[in-house]
Amino acid sequence: MSIEDTSTPTSSSSRLQRYADWAVYAVFIVIILGAPMVIDDVFWLNRISKYLVFGMLGIAIALSWGYAGILNLGQGLFFGLGAYMTAMSLKLMSATSLQQGSDKPVPDFMLWNAEPGAVTDLCCINKGSFLWIPFQSQWFGMAMSIVIPLIVAFVLSSSIFRLRVSGVYVAIITLALVLLVRLLLIDAQPITNGFNGLTDLGWLTIGGFEFDPYMVETYYVVAISLTVVLLLGRWLVSTRAGLILQSTRDDPTRARYLGYDVAAYQIFFFTISAGIAGFAGLLYVVAAEFASPSFMDIGFSISMVVWAAVGGRNSLIGACIGAILINTVEATVSETEIFKEAWKLIIGGVFVLVVLYMPNGLAGIARDLLARFERRRKGAPAETAPKAAE
Amino acid sequence: MNEALTIDGLTVDFGGFKAVDGFTTVVQKGELRVILGPNGAGKTTLMDLVSGKTASTQGTVHLFGENITNRPEHIIARHGIGRKFQIPSVFRDLTVRQNLEVAASGEPGVFRNLRLHMAAEDRARVEDVIALTRLEPVLGTIAGELSHGQMQWLELGMLITQQAKVILLDEPTAGMTHAETFRTAEIINEMKGSHTILVVEHDMAFVRKIAERITVMHMGKLLAEGPMEKIETDPKVREAYLGSGGIH
Ligand SMILES: Nc1ncnc2c1ncn2[C@@H]1O[C@H](COP(=O)(O)OP(=O)(O)OP(=O)(O)O)[C@@H](O)[C@H]1O
Ligand SMILES: [Mg+2]
Repeated sequence: MSIEDTSTPTSSSSRLQRYADWAVYAVFIVIILGAPMVIDDVFWLNRISKYLVFGMLGIAIALSWGYAGILNLGQGLFFGLGAYMTAMSLKLMSATSLQQGSDKPVPDFMLWNAEPGAVTDLCCINKGSFLWIPFQSQWFGMAMSIVIPLIVAFVLSSSIFRLRVSGVYVAIITLALVLLVRLLLIDAQPITNGFNGLTDLGWLTIGGFEFDPYMVETYYVVAISLTVVLLLGRWLVSTRAGLILQSTRDDPTRARYLGYDVAAYQIFFFTISAGIAGFAGLLYVVAAEFASPSFMDIGFSISMVVWAAVGGRNSLIGACIGAILINTVEATVSETEIFKEAWKLIIGGVFVLVVLYMPNGLAGIARDLLARFERRRKGAPAETAPKAAE
Repeated sequence: MNEALTIDGLTVDFGGFKAVDGFTTVVQKGELRVILGPNGAGKTTLMDLVSGKTASTQGTVHLFGENITNRPEHIIARHGIGRKFQIPSVFRDLTVRQNLEVAASGEPGVFRNLRLHMAAEDRARVEDVIALTRLEPVLGTIAGELSHGQMQWLELGMLITQQAKVILLDEPTAGMTHAETFRTAEIINEMKGSHTILVVEHDMAFVRKIAERITVMHMGKLLAEGPMEKIETDPKVREAYLGSGGIH
């Protein structure tokens, strides 16, 4: 990174800071799990569940950008892939797919464009429709939401990092790739419904229970998923591998000379980050009931980076909260038309300011305040205070 | 096996210019070898070739009998070569302790490192090195905020923690104050015997403090090799240094 960083998540190793860190996690989890007890408006709950999904995207960005130093400007690719995989299954479960005059489900848009005389069956209604066959199983679609992003990210990052591509080139490659896939997706109209995306979806159904997006149970699915991802992510960056990853970010050459295969660490964490984005795509479809090529718009991928930057890219929970906050504020101001346009300018300006003046975002500010408090309490400069050998 | 590092006819050709040209030497286990040579003699390039940063065009490098010629850097490192760069190279955003902990991992693989705690022996090694390098007062400090000398000691400490069998040091006292240079000589002398060390150095006072055997390089070739007294009186060496301002 060209921007001076003076602190990283794990550098704050004082006991107070560690407790404060865990306290933030605990409070956050209590709030998101407790929200339905305070908010009874199901429309707001549904909205919030979408923002929680964006919070999960914030975590994915922080993992690759903050911890691995890999700026992925195409995270929307993995989010979009994850969304489409689940949306395909839910589309086949939709009432509209079962009313096309066949005893097996067929998406309505396939019939609208079918050649005259084509058999109304996924096998052969058009050339690519057979790809939909396994998605008749909801579990297959959901599994693919994570597996496909993992595979794509693994193949992509293996070629990028083995060739030691880094910095801005990774950003350009990922950006170009999301654009390309978006075009292909729109182009494959017969099987993707092109621009219109997949709409009129059925509900996620587990053991006969239907997760209507406007039910508190669906909110809990998202909130619990976010909690699990947050804690798993936190564990991951606290492991030895997480520390080694940060070392490869700081100085890849030094890490190599210590015997680490730097590319392997980059590939692993890039791929995990993509898997999280894919999972977020799955949840988004469950809560929002559609998948659209707009998930792969460049603007959306860049927004994710802005959320993480504002919240603090060096902090998983910071980036997560940043995403939720920005989206909540945006939803509130977007009610009026004038603000809706102005919002883009505001958020652009905020991003520039954050990058220039607070590279560690809100999480960085919180950490600095705590460090200042600690120093005052001790009456000595905390950073150079000797630490007893353990 | 007493031959730690065997360099045989090592050559690199940068489009017609041979920065290292048919260089041959054998470093014994536990030896401390100083490499002298005027600016541009090819000392740093030699270290690049041995450590895998630059691919050689001819010749071989063996480490305890194993051929490590032109392998990737991390593989060479795992075979036991540790390297300190001319410009201090530490993980600037991590604390001093974290820097040492990264160096201590006996396991290089990603999946093997998906655990929260270090092995007890790795942790013990970190503590030993902290004592040797006297870094305890700054363990919690971000490495980027260390003084120049402390940063160099940290890097040295990382090589020891890494358990490198052969350590390459490129100008470890460059830019150091007198006191810092003295402390560095102490650290290197303490490492002597238990580590095999190859050190490039310009500071003759420092060289006298640590040197056993000296190799002089000139224009990519080996010019002379032997103990300090012999090197200082060698007419070939005097001549080479005359061309570049004399032995400092
Ligand atoms: N990649 C390269 N391509 C072309 N020439 C190079 C390359 N690397 C080094 N050289 C040249 O090789 C010669 C030897 O350089 P090297 O850095 O090894 O010298 P050195 O002995 O370490 O000198 P110093 O004492 O100044 O550090 C120099 O003339 C340098 O310009
Ligand atoms: Mg040099």
